Amino acid sequence: MNRFLAAVTALTLLWHALPGQGAELRAVVKDHRGKLVADAVVLATPLDPKAALRAKPPQDAVDQVDKQFVPYVKPIFAGSKVRFPNSDHIQHQVYSFSPAKKFELRLYGGTDAPPVVFDKPGVVVLGCNIHDWMVGYIYVADTPFFAKTKVAGTATIDNLPPGDYTLRVWHPSMEQAEETTARRVTLNADGPTSVAWELGLKPALRVPRISGAAAAGY
Amino acid sequence: MPYAVRGDWILGADAALRHDNNVGNAQPRSDIVADSILGARLSFFRLFPLDESYSVTVGGDLSGESYHRLTGLNNASLDGVLMLKKKWGLGAFAPWARAGVSVARSSYDDSYRNAWIYRATLAAGRRIDERWNLWAEYAYERLAARARMEEVFGLSGDAYSQNSHNVGANLQYSLNESTFLALGLLARHGDVVSTTQPGLKIYTASLALAEDPAFGPEEYAYRITGTTYGFRVGINYSLTQHSLLGCGFERLDTHATGGNNYTRSMPEITWDYQF
Repeated sequence: MNRFLAAVTALTLLWHALPGQGAELRAVVKDHRGKLVADAVVLATPLDPKAALRAKPPQDAVDQVDKQFVPYVKPIFAGSKVRFPNSDHIQHQVYSFSPAKKFELRLYGGTDAPPVVFDKPGVVVLGCNIHDWMVGYIYVADTPFFAKTKVAGTATIDNLPPGDYTLRVWHPSMEQAEETTARRVTLNADGPTSVAWELGLKPALRVPRISGAAAAGY
Repeated sequence: MPYAVRGDWILGADAALRHDNNVGNAQPRSDIVADSILGARLSFFRLFPLDESYSVTVGGDLSGESYHRLTGLNNASLDGVLMLKKKWGLGAFAPWARAGVSVARSSYDDSYRNAWIYRATLAAGRRIDERWNLWAEYAYERLAARARMEEVFGLSGDAYSQNSHNVGANLQYSLNESTFLALGLLARHGDVVSTTQPGLKIYTASLALAEDPAFGPEEYAYRITGTTYGFRVGINYSLTQHSLLGCGFERLDTHATGGNNYTRSMPEITWDYQF
């Protein structure tokens, strides 16, 4: 029995001593009515910039399915290349006028479009010149540590280097400025740290996909 | 087939139930006939983006109407449409203009109103933002029906053929992501057909006259010249991304030659589905 306890203790100490063992952040985002909010981007920016140095911008993708951008919100790390495959059997023409990235992919189908590099942090609003109702968001983060809330309003960022962080949250419909959501926390490897935000959300407003014969006008 | 030549199918279906308080455009109270009409339509269009600015839409629709009382007006139509659209700039908020032509054949139970309908349109508009959408349209419409036998010597029996110029202004306002209001204003000048019992007032103003058995044995259709002002208001709710439920009201006021004026009011509920 003593051997077994000694082995468990040794394994536990070894696990905590491993360099990959990081902190975990668990976030919950709700609106003012207490409704859980999906598609919110939770960001953790280390106060020590060296903590993020090893991160490599990955390749990402935003698909087009049934004349919609999928996913609706895509967080990426600054410098990432994003492909825009077109899974519809029609042509799309993806563009953005956003200051963080102005671009246009001429009419294309399939996987013909070249990837786009997003090197400037900020929000990039996507549209399609053929299908006016199509809208999507790419959040270009200045930190490699981020996650997007699921339908349950929760997001988890794990394997964070322990240390001091500024946490923020962003959502396409939020009323307040992103900066007002900032808060300082110290994350350590002892266990998950939970944070919660309550956001004011504007009513979502998009170009209607279907106008109908009755609304066709004179 | 390369993607460059692939078009975008726009397939839809819609249905409407409306009440018309003056189907025959009659002025005398005794001649006014109200009815309820159930309509349905299947539409099939194909959108071909030519480049960043131009697109062509080709297609048509098959529609039908069923009248509750005036069954002679039950009808079916087949419509073919060709449109060229130009956008000045990228995106949903770029101004646009569109020219189109269409040809339709409509067939009625009583066959008197069977006609070819030719229509040429010019439209322009702009979505101001996610909430406001504005556009205007001019249409010239020619409805060519078969001339009937002369009922009165010297007066044409071609009462169902009509030419008209139509100008419409339209506005949509989104209340939220799933609900929008629609307002349309119409000014129309040209031929109108008024069905009534024989009378000197309308007879002296008419350009053509024919019997109209859909309304009864003693009823006659008079083609007169008039100007119609109308409006349509509606509220539409998206049930899903592909379907829309609407409720609307249309009012038409026509001022025709010889003081033959009439009004129509048409509340309706609509359902649309777009694949």
